Amino acid sequence: MSGGARRLWLVARREWSQRARSLAFRISTLISVLIVVALIVVPEMYGGGVKPTRTVGLVGQSSSQLPEILSAAGDQLGLSVKSRTYPDEISGRAALRSGDVSVLLVDQQQLVWKAETDDQLRAIVTSAVQFLERQQAIGELGLTAEQAQRLLQPPDLRSTSLEPATKERSARVALATIGMILLFMAIAFYGGSVLTGVVEEKSSRVVEVLLSRLRPTELLAGKVLGIGLVGLAQFALVAGSALVALALSGNTLAPKTTPSTIGWVLFWFVLGYGFYSVLYATAGSLVSRQEEAQSIQFPVTGVLLVGYVLAFVAAESPDGVAALVGSLVPPTAPMVMTVRIANGGVPWWQIVLSVALMVVTVYGMVQLAGRIYAGAVLRIGRRVRLKEAWRGSGV
Amino acid sequence: MLAIHDLTKRYGDVVALDGASFDASPGRIVGFLGPNGAGKTTTMRAILGLVRPNRGEVRWKGKPVGPEERARFGYMPEERGLYPKMKVGEELTYFAELSGMKGAAAKEAAAGWLGRLGLGDRAGARLEELSHGNQQRVQLAVALVHDPELVVLDEPFSGLDPLGVESLAEMLVQIAATGVAVVFSSHQLDLVEEVCQDVVIIDHGQVVLAGVVEELKAASSYRSLEVSVNGEPWAPILPSGTVTSKKDGRVRVLVDASVDLDEVLASARRVGEVTKFSFEPPSLTDLFLEAVSEGRGA
Repeated sequence: MSGGARRLWLVARREWSQRARSLAFRISTLISVLIVVALIVVPEMYGGGVKPTRTVGLVGQSSSQLPEILSAAGDQLGLSVKSRTYPDEISGRAALRSGDVSVLLVDQQQLVWKAETDDQLRAIVTSAVQFLERQQAIGELGLTAEQAQRLLQPPDLRSTSLEPATKERSARVALATIGMILLFMAIAFYGGSVLTGVVEEKSSRVVEVLLSRLRPTELLAGKVLGIGLVGLAQFALVAGSALVALALSGNTLAPKTTPSTIGWVLFWFVLGYGFYSVLYATAGSLVSRQEEAQSIQFPVTGVLLVGYVLAFVAAESPDGVAALVGSLVPPTAPMVMTVRIANGGVPWWQIVLSVALMVVTVYGMVQLAGRIYAGAVLRIGRRVRLKEAWRGSGV
Repeated sequence: MLAIHDLTKRYGDVVALDGASFDASPGRIVGFLGPNGAGKTTTMRAILGLVRPNRGEVRWKGKPVGPEERARFGYMPEERGLYPKMKVGEELTYFAELSGMKGAAAKEAAAGWLGRLGLGDRAGARLEELSHGNQQRVQLAVALVHDPELVVLDEPFSGLDPLGVESLAEMLVQIAATGVAVVFSSHQLDLVEEVCQDVVIIDHGQVVLAGVVEELKAASSYRSLEVSVNGEPWAPILPSGTVTSKKDGRVRVLVDASVDLDEVLASARRVGEVTKFSFEPPSLTDLFLEAVSEGRGA
């Protein structure tokens, strides 16, 4: 590693070690993980797992396999079907009247309802009884178990839709919107951390000791890299636990695009943070006191907020002009593109163009910001004007 | 050797440095003097690459100073500052590594310096938990931890109590004795006179006096004359001379080196009994005031 790269890395490593092992970081990460996991697991337990339940009353002759087969047939249609056996038809009818059972099956031949018939339940019971009878008939034919299995196995039909299901699409966009909000918050938080870090170095005057040993751009880049790695690690940890929770809970409620949306959010965090952290660092270099840090970050957070608002516009009309422009222009692209991609139908060249514009802009900004930062960071005292910082570069 | 040549720096209309030149040699301590705003801090920052001069250059061992050379410099700015929340040992190690030391060597050097400064048991404490004096020591250690060949200290004695001044002065002498070039600025001229072999006086961005302290004193056309008389206050009747202090019948006058001492003594005796009569080279303070007031056209 060359001297400059090594110093940059040392700065990044310090940021990492000072922040990642702080109690605040550990607690906030833990809380984020718990919240995300709870958001996935809790609805799955109380909503996803609980299907409508029907109970079938069994009277007279019935196969001991029937309850199991009824339950399996119910699962396929999204019903939880239970069975209860009664000693005679009278007690069965009593249970039917009191509502303990939804239907009474007598001798595997006759269905008795309280009043209205339930077509769905009738289909389930019918197919279960049919299955048993076929099984018996096949057994009499003297087929091997394997041959029998093939006859009984329902065909696995693949299904496709001509148009995307709107319900699924709105669920995807809703998920991407949550991801976008987290992305916005993460950029604002970690970008803000960069700004605070820069101001701290100025207000504690350590910056002069630092810059006697490294170049301003090394300090700037190291700081951005170190804090970015902390943010990415936290983000990835939360996203990873979300994926694990999805996998373990069976994932019946979250849209199927959840893993890819999480991937895109992480990807856009890297680019968006790269863009905004440099802006935040530049803003921070202009002031010397924490009290001024609040007001100096308004313009930057304002631009970020435009992207946030545009992303909601894009969620409403993903094919509108605002969404298209917003997803290509660097300051707003991270938020807007995340939502548009989740909605689907974004041509690949738009994604490539958006990413390319972002990368080029970040590169250019590092050059500009490096000069302003270098010109301003050693000026302790009153707020430095941009023009002075620009002219005073390499002071 | 550190060679500063024709250093010029302007901030808009303000000229901070106006062609300043001087040298600093290994094993010697240079006192860098000048009134407030004379350009001391700008010069030191230029040595460390914190200020890019409009003209002139800084050379170390004959080469223009770049990042590689600066890795062998140690610097303590006038505005002290370190990371207040970092542990002292880690902070020192970090700065040692930034100056190019490898991890293990940096750690060892940090521990060594903490021990040397009597802070061996505080390595795990956050900087902000230390007393003001101990924080100053850590700041000094940061400037020295990577065994620099040149040490630049901006007002290192300001804010120290007399004991702190004494121990820092001792330490600077020790460091210089190992072959390190030391440059420090100060307003405490008696201290500079005691500690430094060389002195550079700067005013309005220009070096107005530079050289070996003893030689400058000897070469001065002035002498410090001090006379104490019992009795009436003695007023010196001299062709030239500036009274620098007058207290309880003791008078200190800067006189031309060629003054007729017999005549002065005789004039003092006419007033009363002479209890003290000394004739010495001027002090550094005298040289300083002379150099600076000349520059101001006084």
